[in-house]
Parts: sequence; C-alpha cells; structure tokens
Amino acid sequence: MNRAPVIAGLGITEMGKVYGRTAPEFAAEAVRLAAADAGIELHEVDGLLTNTGITGDVGLGLQRDLGLRHLRLLSEVQAYGSSAGAMVQYAAMAVMSGMADIVACVFADAPLKDKSAGGGAAYAAAGRRPTGWQGLTAASGIYSANTMYALAARRHMQTYGTTSEQLGHIAVAQRAWAARNPLAQLREPITVEDHQSSRWIAEPFHLLDCCLVSNGGVAVLVTSADRAAGLAQPAVHIRGWGQAHPGYVMGRDSEFGLVSGAALSGPTALKMAGITIADIDVAELYDCYTYTALISLEDYGFCAKGEGGPFVAGGVLGPEGSLAVNTGGGQLSSYYMWGMTPLSEAVIQARGQGGERQAPRNDMVLVSGNGGLLDHHSTLILSPHAR
Amino acid sequence: MPVGIVHRDAATAEFFDGTARGELLIRRCRACGAHSAPQARACPRCASPELSWTAAAGTGLVVSWSVVHVKGGPPFVVGIVELDEEPWVQAQIVEVAPEDVHGGMRVRVAFERPEGGEAVPVFHPAS
Repeated sequence: MNRAPVIAGLGITEMGKVYGRTAPEFAAEAVRLAAADAGIELHEVDGLLTNTGITGDVGLGLQRDLGLRHLRLLSEVQAYGSSAGAMVQYAAMAVMSGMADIVACVFADAPLKDKSAGGGAAYAAAGRRPTGWQGLTAASGIYSANTMYALAARRHMQTYGTTSEQLGHIAVAQRAWAARNPLAQLREPITVEDHQSSRWIAEPFHLLDCCLVSNGGVAVLVTSADRAAGLAQPAVHIRGWGQAHPGYVMGRDSEFGLVSGAALSGPTALKMAGITIADIDVAELYDCYTYTALISLEDYGFCAKGEGGPFVAGGVLGPEGSLAVNTGGGQLSSYYMWGMTPLSEAVIQARGQGGERQAPRNDMVLVSGNGGLLDHHSTLILSPHAR
Repeated sequence: MPVGIVHRDAATAEFFDGTARGELLIRRCRACGAHSAPQARACPRCASPELSWTAAAGTGLVVSWSVVHVKGGPPFVVGIVELDEEPWVQAQIVEVAPEDVHGGMRVRVAFERPEGGEAVPVFHPAS
C-alpha cells in the first residue's frame, strides 16, 4: 500500500472581475471542478479543508453546499497567504496516516463588487477598525497591506541597495509569462519604463509592484499514490513541505523586511524531499508585491541575501531566462487567489500542461506561500516523479 | 493628511490616557527590564507577560518609511520609528517634505488631537 501523498485534481473557476457570485459559491464550484478533473465522484471526497479570504465567508458550511455526508476530516485553516500550502500539508499527513483518502483543499474569495471604487479600496476598507491598536494604525494612515509591505520593501532597499527599477524587472518578467497564459487577467506586455511611470500606490511601490484583486476559487485534491493510479490526471507527488512563522519583534535588530519565513520553511521542505535548491527547476513564489518575490528568491537561496536586486535585473527571469519563476504570471499578472495562485500554476507545470508557458524542465517544482505581513510562510516541493 | 479618528478599548485605555497627557507610553518588562512596543502582550526578550507602562523619551530614528498616495489628497508619509528605548512604533511623519525623509533621520514625537477621537502620536524632525 503506497500512501505517499499526491495531488490528483485541480479546479479553477472563472476568475477576475466575475460578479454576482459569492465566495462559498466559487468554493463549491472549485471543488466540483477538481473532482471532475481527477475523474472521481464528488461523494468520494472524505476530507475537506477550507481557507477563506477577505470576505471571510467560506467555512464549514461548504460541506453541506457540496452534499458531503461522510467526511472524516473537516476544518477551516487560516494562516493567510501561506494557507494553501498549509492545507496541502495537513491533507498529505491525513492521507499518509489513513485518516482520510481524498482531501479537498479549497480557497475562494469575492472582494470585488460591480461598480465599486475598485478592488484595492474594497480590500482597504474591509480591514479598517476605528478602535484599539488596529484603529491607531489606521488613524496613523496605515490602512492597507500596501503600506506595510512598502515599509518592508523600503527597509530592504535601505539595507541592501535594492532599487525600484530592479523590482520592475520582476513585474516585466512575470507579465511576459502571463502573455502565454490563457488564464491570466493581464496579458499585455510591459517594460521597466511602464513600471516606473505607473502611478504611485505607497512609495516605493508603483501600481505595477502590486498584485491584482480577483473573484474566484481554486481547489486541489490530495490523495495517495495508490488511489491516484488510474485517475484522469498524472499524479503530482508532494515530496517535501515546511512552514515558518517568524514572529518578528517590532524593535531594534528586527529582521522585518530583511529576512522572510522562506529562510526556514525552504530548508525544511528541501531536506524532506532530499534535494537542494539547485535541484529546483520551477519556482512558483507568492508575489503579493514584486518585493515579496524578491525576498523569497533570496531566502530560498536562489541568490545570496541582499543580492536579489541585481539577480532579478540580470535577465534570469521571464520565459527567456535561466530560472523559471512564476510561469503563469503570478499574482501580479494572472490572478490573486492567495497561496492558490502559486500552487495551481505549480500543479499545471508539474503535470507538463503549461502549453506555451511550460517550463523546459519540471522534475522539481517549488511552491512558496506567504501570509500576513511576512508573518507566515509555507513551502511545498512537488514533482511528477515518485520518490 | 490629518490623522484619523480612533477610539479606545480596554487594551488601549492607558495608552490613550498617556497620549492625552502628551506622553508616549511603551511597555517595560517587570522581570528583565526590556522595553517593548505599546501593543506588546509579552516581553520580546524573556516572554514574561508581566509588563508595566512607562513613558518613552519620545525621540528616535526613522527605520523605514512610505509615501502614501491617496485619491483626493496630497501624499503623506508614514514610517517605522525606532525609539531610543528600542521598540518600534508606526506613525505618520509630519512637518517634512516626503523627498526629504531618509533612513536614520532623527525624529521627535508630537500629538495630534482630532475632534471626537483620541490623541494620536506623530513624529516630526528633531531640531
């Protein structure tokens, strides 16, 4: 009996400015799509893990929305952008232990409202509190993640000399990938000049440093290698995983902005997989901002700490580069489904189903999730090959 | 941009009593003496939950900053200020042109008192 964990199904709903549907509706559809993709009946799902986004309304009720009546595992998972990777980890352990056989992991969100002032505004307003410490932060003018990540990025710039132009190379490279991705929301090529002339959001971030906001849902099915044999899709083996939660001290000598959780979750996952970072063929990195991708590249060891700026500006990224990073366009250009953005593209790449954007080698695919204000991190190592 | 309105809750009552008096209160560990940020619930050095309030000197340096651009108003500066006692606080940086803010800049606390809300700390260049 081979209970080694694999991803056997992937469901991606219509994505982007899709109005008139709730997040629970997107979540249910994503799970149904994943079951159909795997070639199983929905009622065969015996584990369900959910992660809710900013609208906060995807949870345990999804069981009844799906008519699942024999679940052996059901829970909400919340570590923000690291949750997709975390759900897969918990699902893998449930499958390995025999607790469950087919675990659906799903994220959905619907923050965009028709004719609203814009997605960014919806995100900002949702987090606003007029009281207490959170209220003080907002009253001080810090009322969206944009500003906190801008403060992190500025610290990196101050310490290592990273520049806005260097960050621009990440946006440009990912848009070039997105141009080859039919699922991507933004496919028009851009230049570093376009990045530099896009409007300021929160300096040092221009508009083109910031992720999209999307309505939609994504689900994956985790099962055992044995159960996946003979299903509709090639199995994607989950070879290693890790998490990190740095718990930054907000005071002198803090590493906030300088070192992310990838520095710990990466080695944990690589060790479990029995490989090194040099073995990674494809990296799907959480990129809520260009800077997040940059610091992740450093902390995984694709380049030395502090050298991320020159590294990304040196032409390694993009379809013509030597390192396949965010091959679908990432959250900057394809769609923003928290950690499901890098995970979904990683599954596509590991299956070899990337079409025009398929990376030349896919033996080892790294998935990076990042949540909160760099507070939570998850890593997965996926492969088309069993150990 | 003027600071926004914030109301106190149980966790922030003493802090806002402090801002009303013109004091920036931070936490001090009863066990090891280390200072921590006002919102800390345990000492970052020894993890003790036994924290008292103490008034910071109100001076520090800019660790990081962002110029925030919003619709319908001029850009404004927010930053992370490292107090001389070591904790970081996040606040607006005022009375300085955005392009003149720099890392390591010395700043001093002041308090803005919007009508209908608590007094909010801001920082301006230390003269």
